[in-house]
Amino acid sequence: MSTVKTAAFFRAEGTLLGRGVLAATAYLAANAQKFGERALRLGVVALSAPLHGLLGQNDRTLGNRIAYLAFRGMSEDRIAELGEEYAADILKEKILDQGVELVKRARAEGHRIVLMSDNVSAIMEPLLPHLPAIDDLVCNRLEYADGEATGKLVDPVIGGHGDGRFVAEYAARHGIDLGASVAYGSHGTDLLLLAAVGKPCAVNPDFTLRRGAREADWPIIEYQS
Amino acid sequence: MRSLSIHESFAGRNVLLTGASGFLGKVWLTMMLQRAPGIGRIYVLLRQKALRPARDRFEKMVASSPCFKPLHERYGADLGRFIAERVEVVDGDIGLPGLGLDDATAARLAGELDLVVNCAGLVDFDPDLRDALGTNVDGCLHVADFLARCERAALLHISTCYVAGTRNGEIPEELIANYAPSGAPFDARAEYDDARAAIAQILADYDTPEKEAEIHLDTVKHIRERGLDPNNETLVRNISRRLKRTAIKDAMIAEGQDRAKRWGWTNIYTYSKSLGESLLAPYLGKFKLSLLRPAIVESAMEYPFPGWNQGFNTSGPLSYMLGGWFRQLPMRRGNPFDVIPVDYVCRAMSIAGAALIEGEHRLVYQCGSSDKNRLTIDRACELTALAHRKHLRRKGDSAVDRIVLSRWDSVPSDGEEAFSVPNLRKAAKDFTEAMRDLPRRWPKFVRRKAEDAAKEVDKVDEKLETIEKLVDLYRPFILDNFFVFKTDALQSHGVVEPEFQFDPKAIDWRRYWIDVHIPGLRRWCYPLFEGKTPDSYSPRHPFALPAPAPAQPPAEARPAQAQAQGGAR
Repeated sequence: MSTVKTAAFFRAEGTLLGRGVLAATAYLAANAQKFGERALRLGVVALSAPLHGLLGQNDRTLGNRIAYLAFRGMSEDRIAELGEEYAADILKEKILDQGVELVKRARAEGHRIVLMSDNVSAIMEPLLPHLPAIDDLVCNRLEYADGEATGKLVDPVIGGHGDGRFVAEYAARHGIDLGASVAYGSHGTDLLLLAAVGKPCAVNPDFTLRRGAREADWPIIEYQS
Repeated sequence: MRSLSIHESFAGRNVLLTGASGFLGKVWLTMMLQRAPGIGRIYVLLRQKALRPARDRFEKMVASSPCFKPLHERYGADLGRFIAERVEVVDGDIGLPGLGLDDATAARLAGELDLVVNCAGLVDFDPDLRDALGTNVDGCLHVADFLARCERAALLHISTCYVAGTRNGEIPEELIANYAPSGAPFDARAEYDDARAAIAQILADYDTPEKEAEIHLDTVKHIRERGLDPNNETLVRNISRRLKRTAIKDAMIAEGQDRAKRWGWTNIYTYSKSLGESLLAPYLGKFKLSLLRPAIVESAMEYPFPGWNQGFNTSGPLSYMLGGWFRQLPMRRGNPFDVIPVDYVCRAMSIAGAALIEGEHRLVYQCGSSDKNRLTIDRACELTALAHRKHLRRKGDSAVDRIVLSRWDSVPSDGEEAFSVPNLRKAAKDFTEAMRDLPRRWPKFVRRKAEDAAKEVDKVDEKLETIEKLVDLYRPFILDNFFVFKTDALQSHGVVEPEFQFDPKAIDWRRYWIDVHIPGLRRWCYPLFEGKTPDSYSPRHPFALPAPAPAQPPAEARPAQAQAQGGAR
């Protein structure tokens, strides 16, 4: 048995899933308990949209934090229930087949599969049965107090510049050789994640990542639709 | 304290169970048969109903109630023999002195019994006072009198946490003799006698010529309104008898509610249950006695199967209503909604029963969740809405149900919102008055249209009235009072068998409510509200008890004997 452990890091949004954080937060916000509350929460999501657009090429931490503010005061029960509903009804249909193939191939190559997602655990955990086998799910976690979301995310927030550092720490914790590990990302925010491993790969990259990938001579995969 | 083993404590012990046809009694009976088959004999006290002997009733119950499904699945064609070896159906009625048993049976049971579990009770919130006293007080006393004649039997009496009445805060596990929630000096025996006198007075009042004449006038009016023949004597007699019966029943309910309210109870049910408890106090010391007080007993968590429920259960109508267009439920946020799954209560019954048999019992066991794993009423309301949402999105009858109603969440209110039921009713009333009060000089067709509109609104108002009444019924539990029922007594007994352990902390309310409880209600209770019959169970192997032993006395001889016995006492 080989003693060197390697991992394949997948950024879920863009490589494995065709829907991002804003769609999920908007869905939950639109299904809050009261009618007025729905409008208000959707307003918060709408506010975070331009930030996601502007900063999304670079760092999504702030955009994500603001988007999830829309959950402030929403009950844990509702978030869990709507998360399951969103995963089963919407996100499941947005799983990208080519992404699934990439995961399977990485598994066959003996990598430990780590899925990193901007979405919250309430959505990603119910989605797991619909995905190919994943060893570790790393996603954002909402902070709860007295059965209600506080609107804050528990650190580390996934989806920003912190991801590179997170991967390094993760590798140290699990004894993983990053030099022999792979990572797949599709946004400018994933630059540091991809740079942290020996075999990075850009998938359907956006403008920033495409430029970065070309500079660094990383392979680029374009999904055929 | 050493741990109790339910298997060991019940091994070879004989138990008399009353109320076996009820929700709780049935689940406990099957649970004991399934999980403690070493138990001695279970005597099931059943009442003859509509000329159907108790044995037949029991047979039909086993053959068709889904509650017996696990037993059918385990024993199949052998179930008849299995049950006949462990269960004996006894013709009797706790409403009768001596439980309506014939002398021979009574004597035999008195010598054999180790435990009597009194599950029989009338659980309607506001029933006829006569029925409430008959079952919840007299029944309880008849059982206690019977116990006093037994050689060694102990009594486990099932009461309710809500005997506490309109009180706030932590409710300890204690029996206070002559307890009244209002704190006023109270004598349970005097109150019982007084209530009986009031019942007699009402009956006497309805026997006067003036009342007869009044009812006759009502009858004629009633017949005329329906366009029937007022000279048809049979019809007049039948209808006047029915009207009289209804009027007396209403008077009895009003009397009961008045008494309950006067002393601080929430309704006739809790009033009569508390009277029963108080009147049991003098029996302390005559035999081993425990009171088990469940809170709101709801769908099964796992036994006989997840979601099992029966009849118009306690909170069923409320949750049914929340599945419709009704939105704002008045409640006090943070108030505990003390629901406990029926199988948890049955485990508690087994624990208390074993403790009684072993002589390690406490006097009062409360069995609820508010103390250890609190579910608040606002959380229950939201979970109910989410459960309805889950169902309606997939299985709603129409597109409106699937798209709009599923997203029409019920919300907690403090009763002051613009769209609260009283406000809606007031608006409806104002509207109909205005429509019926149009100036006479307005064209006739406008006034006719206005009248039609007023009639439509009247119909809506009727529905709102039903909702308002229902909300009023639950108001003491969800708005007016704040109860936390201590449940330390049950936790004080360690239990060896995991399947009998009582641990409300293990309940995951979201999973229970959305995946177990509301789907259970939808299957077993909502059809009743819609006038339909819930599914019955048909086992693969038809069930029949083996032919009875010839030593049993004939069923016909029993009522007369029971009467004679009652007279002798």
